[in-house]
Amino acid sequence: MNEMTDGHIVSSYNKDLNHLHQLVIQIKDLACRQVREAARSLEDEDVELARAVIVSDREIDALDIKADEEIIRLIAKRQPVARDLREIMTVAKIVGDLERIGDQARRLARLTIRFYDGDVIPPNRHLLDDLNKMADFVNRMVEDSVNAFDDLDLNRAMDVIRRDSIVSDDFRSALRRLSTFIMEDSRSVGHMVDVVLGLRALERIGGHAKNISRYVVFLVKGKDVRHKDLDAVEAEIISTLK
Amino acid sequence: MLSVTPDSMGTVTAPAGVIAAGFSPVADDSRAINGTVGDITAIDPRMTARHVNVYYGDKLAINNVSLDIGKNEVIAMIGPSGCGKSTFLRCLNRMNDTIDICRVEGEIRLDDQDIYDSGLDVVPLRAQVGMVFQKPNPFPKSIYDNVAYGPRIHGLTGSKSELDEIVEQSLLKAGLWDEVKDRLDEVGTGLSGGQQQRLCIARTIAVAPEVILMDEPCSALDPIATARVEELIDELREQYTIAIVTHSMQQAARVSQRTAYFHLGELVEVGKTDDIFTNPRHRLTEDYITGRFG
Repeated sequence: MNEMTDGHIVSSYNKDLNHLHQLVIQIKDLACRQVREAARSLEDEDVELARAVIVSDREIDALDIKADEEIIRLIAKRQPVARDLREIMTVAKIVGDLERIGDQARRLARLTIRFYDGDVIPPNRHLLDDLNKMADFVNRMVEDSVNAFDDLDLNRAMDVIRRDSIVSDDFRSALRRLSTFIMEDSRSVGHMVDVVLGLRALERIGGHAKNISRYVVFLVKGKDVRHKDLDAVEAEIISTLK
Repeated sequence: MLSVTPDSMGTVTAPAGVIAAGFSPVADDSRAINGTVGDITAIDPRMTARHVNVYYGDKLAINNVSLDIGKNEVIAMIGPSGCGKSTFLRCLNRMNDTIDICRVEGEIRLDDQDIYDSGLDVVPLRAQVGMVFQKPNPFPKSIYDNVAYGPRIHGLTGSKSELDEIVEQSLLKAGLWDEVKDRLDEVGTGLSGGQQQRLCIARTIAVAPEVILMDEPCSALDPIATARVEELIDELREQYTIAIVTHSMQQAARVSQRTAYFHLGELVEVGKTDDIFTNPRHRLTEDYITGRFG
């Protein structure tokens, strides 16, 4: 039983909220698969897989619209308040971030096509080292943030928020490494710009995971911590856990 | 006859508080009196109730409720049937005096006056603290006489022209003047339900009350008439203090600035309406307003 969606006297309300909740899990699964496959397409130089990722983004877009439609219908029919209202608002926010994660995965897949489709000179493999590592890392963040939403787990949400600074550090380190490649071989500058865009896409995915975790704090606590610094968010969470 | 015993606890033992028993209220350090979650006080209180117990015979209907009603605010009282919200509302102008087996303990003040003072005349009190009921109950008299009745019996006017002025102003404030100005001598009971309720509100404000109590004033009205009364409540707030009991959560959310949630005779939570309906602090409040109550 989900504490946020169940327990209403009107059982169809439980059903509607549960359905909306499950839609988030479904979109998360799709978005994570997209990121994973986009990264694998780069690793395996698999242009077909990259094209499939780009096409599959439409599935996420369709579910994004479906979630919005259900949210509008729920608000119109049920006039949700308190935790029901927070659940619905949180779902709306999370779905928005997941949809953008799907867009970032599509950007990553486009790199594969640019690098390996047709008669182009592929980049030095070492240029791509950081992309795969970072893709794994941010994908776990997305998984954990949505699981925190599913389990109302503030500890896990906080953990994801903390990990975002690791992503930022990794992004900067990767840029430094890339700059050494340019110094050694300025012909790689075109590839390097593309790789930076890929890294930037992954860094944004980490940011979206952080956003989702902050929505979880709002869902559980009713406090909006979106623009608060890390210490303030931590203090808010600790005040619940003690 | 009402027995008012402000200083005695009576012979009945109060049941264990529902606020703490059997439920898991959210962690909160800011509990006020009697475990009520939230701030029971108002910055500029017009009425103050402290440690109010109400008994119907041996049955404790209100258990140690303390609450301020602030000047120019609308406070909504919500809760399931039998939670004591209407009983508490009726205490505020001693309407419970009409129930023989009812006994009120504790202190309720209007400004600095203890309204349960043994020497207090309840007639002027009920003019100061007026009441609008669930079902519109105009007198079987003309529209004019319905509104003029209060000022006449309270001797508020010295001339017909003064009375005319009060009737017109009251009907204007109640948003009814334009609809009835050409038929003031028609019988009040001939108006539509929504118009009758606004006539009752005009009748209440004709005697210049400080506080208006409303006991589910829209439950017998259609959505349009309800919207008119809600708009009226918002306008009246500038001049009066309003306490409203309602079963409609949306109405409480729409019209009030503060909301008080009652459960089994106890005041569980009180707070800003915006907070109560987005992030209530007590589990009972949340379960009730989200429709989870079994």
